[in-house]
Amino acid sequence: MKEILEKLQIKDVNVGACAGPDDWYEDPAGEEIVSINPTTGEPIAKVIQATEKTYEQVLHLAVEGFKTWRMMPAPKRGLIVRDLGEALRENKEPLGDLVTLEMGKIRAEGHGEVQEMIDICDFAIGLSRQLYGLSMHSERPGHRMYEQWHPLGAIGVITAFNFPVAVWAWNAAIAAACGDTTVWKPSSETPLTAIAIQHIANQVMADHGLKGIFNITIGRGAVVGEHMINDSRLPLISFTGSTRMGRRVSEAVARRFGRTILELGGNNAVIVAEDADLEMAMRTILFGAVGTAGQRCTSTRRIIMHKSIASELSERIVNAYKQVTTGDPIEEGTLMGPLVTKGAVEDMLAALEKAKEQGGEVLCGGNRLFDLGEQFVEPTIVKMPKQTEIVHIETFAPILYFMEYEDIEEAIQLHNEVPQGLSSAVFTTNLLTAEKFLSHEGSDCGIANVNIGTSGAEIGGAFGGEKETGGGRESGSDAWKGYMRRQTNTINWSKELPLAQGIKFVD
Amino acid sequence: MEPKVTLDIPIEDLVLKFPESVGFLTRKGIRCIRCGEPLWCTLGELLEEDNIPDPQNIVDELNEFLC
Repeated sequence: MKEILEKLQIKDVNVGACAGPDDWYEDPAGEEIVSINPTTGEPIAKVIQATEKTYEQVLHLAVEGFKTWRMMPAPKRGLIVRDLGEALRENKEPLGDLVTLEMGKIRAEGHGEVQEMIDICDFAIGLSRQLYGLSMHSERPGHRMYEQWHPLGAIGVITAFNFPVAVWAWNAAIAAACGDTTVWKPSSETPLTAIAIQHIANQVMADHGLKGIFNITIGRGAVVGEHMINDSRLPLISFTGSTRMGRRVSEAVARRFGRTILELGGNNAVIVAEDADLEMAMRTILFGAVGTAGQRCTSTRRIIMHKSIASELSERIVNAYKQVTTGDPIEEGTLMGPLVTKGAVEDMLAALEKAKEQGGEVLCGGNRLFDLGEQFVEPTIVKMPKQTEIVHIETFAPILYFMEYEDIEEAIQLHNEVPQGLSSAVFTTNLLTAEKFLSHEGSDCGIANVNIGTSGAEIGGAFGGEKETGGGRESGSDAWKGYMRRQTNTINWSKELPLAQGIKFVD
Repeated sequence: MEPKVTLDIPIEDLVLKFPESVGFLTRKGIRCIRCGEPLWCTLGELLEEDNIPDPQNIVDELNEFLC
């Protein structure tokens, strides 16, 4: 562990507010938070949280930095994002290990998350030459009309523990290419990965004589988070977290007419049709439900399976669950690590009690694994008689609910019945079933897949969901437009002054 | 019995200091962590938002549970 921390410049006590290589801000009034290894319950290192004073110092440089950054040609900004991607490549190994150490996901997933950061940097380099606006034919003679996309400002990025680095990169790399600076508040559960990233970003900024482009303010939601969402110097807040918190963020930002990108709760289902390849479905469901210990926004939480194959599929999945090796996530061969906090374990156990009260039958799992540590649980499958209240709720843990259906209309109705709308999938070899699922009357989610699972999105597509998932889009496709302001321009190159709609005002 | 928890305690502190509170409250239909993260408010604010009729009673029961 010591070697990983040293490589990433993590000290025993770290400062949680920074706006550049020589701009770490420490306030003696700042309280310390201790980053705990969820596997062992042991402290890893401490971070002195940002205070109102240090938050202001960071914001000042982020706003000032924007003035310089927005004037740099976008392709040149892209080259700096390229350097960030290269620096992440060089640090992939220790950074991936730190993700595992601090958050508890298995090593392959930790490294995969860093790869996602590298991928989005690669994407942003190309994007920096493709910030296209449309040109429109004016209805007025001798006029030219077009639109251009301008940088927006300093962007607030608030991320959650489960993807402690990738979600920052989705936002920061795209925002940087777009000419925005970012102020990042990471989860208080994973402050060290943020410190490590800041050191890497600082080196890139130093190489180019920059500051204030990539910034962090680590602190409580009730302090730093509230400051950010109420701060009109941050025209956009990109928030990843729960629906409940998203509502609070949305209301606060809307009150000041700011913008939000909200990535909130998911309650993702896989429909398995009677003609599905069950082996493929089983493997996908296992990864989707057990990966990251069920703590992904896109984790598979519900299986809606056709009655005719329910028995066979259930048996296959239960058998696969029994093979899952739970343990230290850094060890080769471990498939599931601990939950992030003791509170998360409590939340899972309480949800299981409710599921049983509502008629659920636990097919496997359901217990804590005290011999491994306080935050280890068994991956759990609960067969539900119907889609009860608890199934409508997202429990951030490895609980998978089984339900059955008779026809595809019923399956889609069950699928769409929950308030969340992030990710979805159908397993079928029938073209009509697949197309129906993807149609207007099919899945109501932002992500809908055929014969692949709900989790493990690529960076090239726009990521996000509908309904209580918040409607935001991040990462690929044209999600960049959320980080810029559109300006419609009309230029009169004639010597006349015609009005639109043929209006005559003064002859 | 010394009360450990008050209505003013931030949820972020509550789940850190008394993680067993999470299960206690969830069983009463009060969810103080969502998506694995604590809410940014005090216990009192949460109970008010959830329209809990007698918040102090919940706090008293919670303290009893924690002792």
